[in-house]
Amino acid sequence: MTLAERLAAYLTRTNGVPTQVEDLRRIYGGASRETYRYEAIADGVRQGFILRRDPPGSLIETDRRAEFLAIRSFAGKSVGAPEAVLLETLGAELERPFFIMRRAEGGVSGSIFNARPYGSHGPSIGRQFFTFLGRIAAEPIDGLPLCEAVERPARGECWRRELDYWTGVIDADEQQPQPIVRAAIRRLYRAPPPLAAKISVVHGDYRSGNFLHDGAGEIVAILDWEMAHLGDPLEDLAWALDPLWSHPQGDTVSGMVSQADAVAIWEDTSGLTVDPAALAWWRLFASVKAQAIWISSAKAWRDGGMTEPILAFSGWFTARRQDQILASHLAGLGA
Amino acid sequence: MTLSLPDILMGQFVALGSPLPPEAGDDYTAARRGMLAMLNALASQEAERGFAARLWENGALRELFFEAAGDYDEAFAGRLAKAAGQTDGDFTWEGLDATNAHLRRLLIALHETVEARADGALDRRILDLYVRMAHERRLELPGGLG
Repeated sequence: MTLAERLAAYLTRTNGVPTQVEDLRRIYGGASRETYRYEAIADGVRQGFILRRDPPGSLIETDRRAEFLAIRSFAGKSVGAPEAVLLETLGAELERPFFIMRRAEGGVSGSIFNARPYGSHGPSIGRQFFTFLGRIAAEPIDGLPLCEAVERPARGECWRRELDYWTGVIDADEQQPQPIVRAAIRRLYRAPPPLAAKISVVHGDYRSGNFLHDGAGEIVAILDWEMAHLGDPLEDLAWALDPLWSHPQGDTVSGMVSQADAVAIWEDTSGLTVDPAALAWWRLFASVKAQAIWISSAKAWRDGGMTEPILAFSGWFTARRQDQILASHLAGLGA
Repeated sequence: MTLSLPDILMGQFVALGSPLPPEAGDDYTAARRGMLAMLNALASQEAERGFAARLWENGALRELFFEAAGDYDEAFAGRLAKAAGQTDGDFTWEGLDATNAHLRRLLIALHETVEARADGALDRRILDLYVRMAHERRLELPGGLG
């Protein structure tokens, strides 16, 4: 049976309504989930959906239940979260765990290969982008579905938990010595950030390229919630500001707004005031976390049979660019 | 250092010969082809300057170790001096990378020691060296993309 036939069998069995699946197509990109778009026809109604299925081996160890519940946590809250439809943790007819979201129609994503990926709509999209992020930070966490799947850290422990985790990823996956990121890690442990202002939902991969826009200045969906967790809201802001997501010759955050405007929009929406020392810590951390992911990509490329070229790109070009960002950052901080 | 040119080129061979998933449509196929083309363009840069970058870095690290050796206790100074006195002898990519890995491990140990001693001048020198190392290893997006 094809994947479309197996999905149709699953939907028919679980919904109790004969369901056809048409135009199922794999979407390129990402290595931690297989992503497909498809149309479902039931009771004469055709609707578009996205299927996210675990791959045989995943680059980033993430919990699809947490991803599903993170998206559910922001349903209807004006942050661009898609509509999460169903979660299947056992795999059933599809053999591996998966979940389904309603498809955001008419959306396209920007590319870091383009200095002005949003053209003249950059400022408008940037305002929404950082407004949505501010709203995520402002959302009270008590009672959110995501809290069923993730731990709530103490305000003073957010930084250590994240740094320990991503340092562990580098320890496990590093195949060549990496002195630059090791120096950054030591610096982060030596000089921890101030206490988190609050505990918020952290999207975990909030950046240019992980949202869809309509080409006319409106964001239609924020994607890729697979690393969502609870923590210091500055973690997301710092990640979104990392120079990696911007074209090397760009002078704004990912072709959208200036850094100063991005922070001001975020502060205005989140109700929080950015502590420059804390943001500086999280910005260096963001590059460490990113480098950990690229190091894992390189290992996955070598060990995984060298079949998925995006892993080579991440583990090679992106890792080299991240080293430049890290080295420049460290040199700017000084001894 | 992460992946090397032989990793990329052998991977291109494997990836080009691998079957696409049955659900791959035109968009998926075009995006994957574009990524392979991008890797080819980056590989040409690495073929042009990657070898020289490795030789330069190995030399720069030995120079640093030579300068730093006099400042440390006998055991560590001995390690630094020994590394500083060696030369590159295996001029394959794998050979240069193996030597570089040895030197980089010593660089990490040296920097840890420098930080523990709060040696600001040498710390500054190492941080500046990181910038140069990353620059020498840089890859640039082709065709006006970067």
